[in-house]
Amino acid sequence: MAKNILGREIPEFIEGYGKPLLFGGAFARKPEGNAVGAKIRCVNNDSTDKRLPDVKAAIIASGLKSGMTVSFHHHLRNGDFVVNQVIDACAELGINNLTLFPTALFGVHKKLIEHIKSGVITKIMGSVNGPIGQLVSEGGMEVPVTLRSHGGRPRAVKAGDVHIDVAFIAAPASDKYGNICGTVGKSACGSLGYAFTDAQYADCVVVITDNIQPYPASPVSISQVHADFVVEVESIGDPAGIVSGTTRVTRDPLRLLIAKYASQLIEASPYFQDGISFQTGAGGIPLAVTAFMKEAMIKRGIKGSFGLGGITSYFVELLKEGLVEKLMDVQSFDLGAVQSIAENPKHIEISADWYANPWNNGAAVNMLDVVILGATEVDTDFNANVNTEADGALLHGTGGHQDTAAGAKLTIIAQPLLRGRIPCVTDSVYSVTTPGEVIDAIVTEYGITINPRRKDLLDACAEVKGLPLVSMEELSARAKKMSGPTDPVETEDRIIGVIEWRDGTVIDTVKQLKKK
Amino acid sequence: MRRTMLYLPGNNPNMLVRGYLFGSDGLILDLEDAVAVAEKENARILVSHFLRQGEFGDCEVTVRINGLDTEYWKDDLAAIVPHKSLQGVRVPKVEDAGMVKILDEELSHVEEKNGIPVGRTKIFCLLETAQGVWNAYDVAKASPRVAAIIPGGEDLVADLKTSRSPEGTELEWARRMMVFAARAAGVDALDTVFPRVTDDEGLRREAAFIKQLGFDGKSVIHPNQIPIIHDVFNPTEKEIESALKIVAAAKEAAARGLGAVSVDGRMVDVPVVKRAEYVLLKAGITEVE
Amino acid sequence: MSNTAQAGTLESMDCLVTATQGVPGSGVKVEITGSSAARFKSAMEKKVNEVVVSLGAKDIDLSIQDNGAIDLVLGARVEAALKKLMGGAK
Repeated sequence: MAKNILGREIPEFIEGYGKPLLFGGAFARKPEGNAVGAKIRCVNNDSTDKRLPDVKAAIIASGLKSGMTVSFHHHLRNGDFVVNQVIDACAELGINNLTLFPTALFGVHKKLIEHIKSGVITKIMGSVNGPIGQLVSEGGMEVPVTLRSHGGRPRAVKAGDVHIDVAFIAAPASDKYGNICGTVGKSACGSLGYAFTDAQYADCVVVITDNIQPYPASPVSISQVHADFVVEVESIGDPAGIVSGTTRVTRDPLRLLIAKYASQLIEASPYFQDGISFQTGAGGIPLAVTAFMKEAMIKRGIKGSFGLGGITSYFVELLKEGLVEKLMDVQSFDLGAVQSIAENPKHIEISADWYANPWNNGAAVNMLDVVILGATEVDTDFNANVNTEADGALLHGTGGHQDTAAGAKLTIIAQPLLRGRIPCVTDSVYSVTTPGEVIDAIVTEYGITINPRRKDLLDACAEVKGLPLVSMEELSARAKKMSGPTDPVETEDRIIGVIEWRDGTVIDTVKQLKKK
Repeated sequence: MRRTMLYLPGNNPNMLVRGYLFGSDGLILDLEDAVAVAEKENARILVSHFLRQGEFGDCEVTVRINGLDTEYWKDDLAAIVPHKSLQGVRVPKVEDAGMVKILDEELSHVEEKNGIPVGRTKIFCLLETAQGVWNAYDVAKASPRVAAIIPGGEDLVADLKTSRSPEGTELEWARRMMVFAARAAGVDALDTVFPRVTDDEGLRREAAFIKQLGFDGKSVIHPNQIPIIHDVFNPTEKEIESALKIVAAAKEAAARGLGAVSVDGRMVDVPVVKRAEYVLLKAGITEVE
Repeated sequence: MSNTAQAGTLESMDCLVTATQGVPGSGVKVEITGSSAARFKSAMEKKVNEVVVSLGAKDIDLSIQDNGAIDLVLGARVEAALKKLMGGAK
């Protein structure tokens, strides 16, 4: 047993994962050598149509065998039909022992539980949510889940930590030769950002679409040079689950209060000036922060440079009103964002690699001034946990949390101090996702708590009259007073989840919950 | 300062825990209309626990008790008055000075029994009938405990045999009456609630209107209404600047033994200085160089 | 004296307390379920017992369905349920 730099105990060897590298700081590990690549293919003019009749035919043609790794993107979110369809077909073909390598899973994928129980899927590298997360937490899989950030995933592929045998790419539009795009068709999802790495690095790429366009299709996100096969199905997803309606700013007073404080912190920071860039996602509090920032930007005559990450119609409005110059979109959250990325050249589709990979020549997160994030808990060292819940269950993916925190100049976690009786500030988080080294402030309904490491921010805030500053000691004392002492989580010794930092080192592990 | 007093339903722990965080000047823990008959006892116990152990920040803490025509009001007082954090009771449907006197006596009785200085608990009177509004001045003068009078909204409008309009035409006279009675009696005039919680612009208009009438503040039913009303009631930068000048000039004049002075070509006498001091008080400025 | 009494709700930060009169000599039994039970059971049991003792209740089954009540709320709800069960006895 060894301890990483945060004092988390990591075994020398983790069954089903291998020999872990110890996390040694947010920017400590540097790459060596060359990137790995996909199998070289050759297609000549004897093949001018890559279409196959159905998913099963494509699985057979791809050469997928038991024990291999299959990948999927999550742009169809909770409306996705493709993951279940493909794994069902694998089961029917007698393929098992698969490693599932999705960019994320959603509630709709709970159907996979039967395939986990029957051994079709024996390993998952990616987020496990809801019922699958509960199953894994209670010891329902032999092999631990590996959790990677949106940037850590393309890094792992490029560095050869993960090899994708077959990538199944759901495409809202494709032609018969596999030029695909996400902005048109009944299943339009906007950006296809998370699919790029899989298309580039998989040995075989199967495009699955419900919208065949005449060759050559346009616009193109991912081109024909990557596609091996194209399958037309009746439907790749349920539009109602793929994108939400227009995203509206919350009217919940608690969220608005926290958002107001976060916005005041941003305004007090040195980054609130012409050219500011920010990422706020689609959650209630972050979106409300954007609304308050918008007011402040108009009042002080400030214009931003770009908005990054998952894009909502609220960001689209900022673009239209000239309050930001560009949007860099790895994932389009709602209808307004899908329409905008289709029509507006200032709304740019970016890949996960471009967005967040720490091992390239500079990801977009590096250019970020401010990011607003959430967390289930934060400890007095400002370490944040987004993967496990209060009861110790592994229920959430890492998303872009690590990447944006490491990239942005000002990383704010905005979160109610209490969810019911459960406090979001503890002495030591149950599992670490993102180290306090890259988190600058926590904002709760009790005020703004700045990481003492950021003396410059503390000074800047001290100059602004009426900012509700609360020290970490005060905040943590308040949490304890209101919540009372916590009982420990009861676990087995076996590790069921390995949380990687974006550079591939292990920042923490998650243990199996004891049966109640 | 009573720019905003926020109602918190007395049987809702979520709001009782967090209500004070939203920055209103006062809180009204509600045992009356916000609590169903079957829940009166539960709410009373919950509110009394909060008064004993809860947090309220810098807010003025009051409880709206059940009406004097109900079987609950004495139990309400017995449960809440002993707690130090309670500063006043808001009593519904006050019709005349006699009712205030009955409440005053019962308060004194409970205060005495619990070893609390008699007279500590203030009274906020809701005038929700035509008769109550008509008697506003007498009500305000009925006890030194009376801190404010507040016109009713829905109930008053029903009693007037009309309905509530967006412009508030039907409440206009009652509001003017309230300011006159309050000023004559030396208590605060606080306005009724604005019921349409998502109509931010409507609220802003109404707040500006009642501020101009002379009200000290307004009752609030949703936290999102607080910053809008404060925005209206807070003095503008220009008002603060002018008030600072006036108060400074008056100070200087007093130091030199002069009476009236002039600021920017305008006579500054006692009422003007008083109003300037009030502006600075509202702006949270206590010391003038 | 009625046999069972309830206080509270299942709203956020509240709990629903059901108090039932047990047979003489059965003692005080407390059952806690819900959102905070995983990490705050001991603290909640402590608070419940404090209230039970302060009201002098005996031979009571208390079932608490929790949705995030802090001690202050839990104490008020248990007190309300017990007072109702005991017929308003102080």
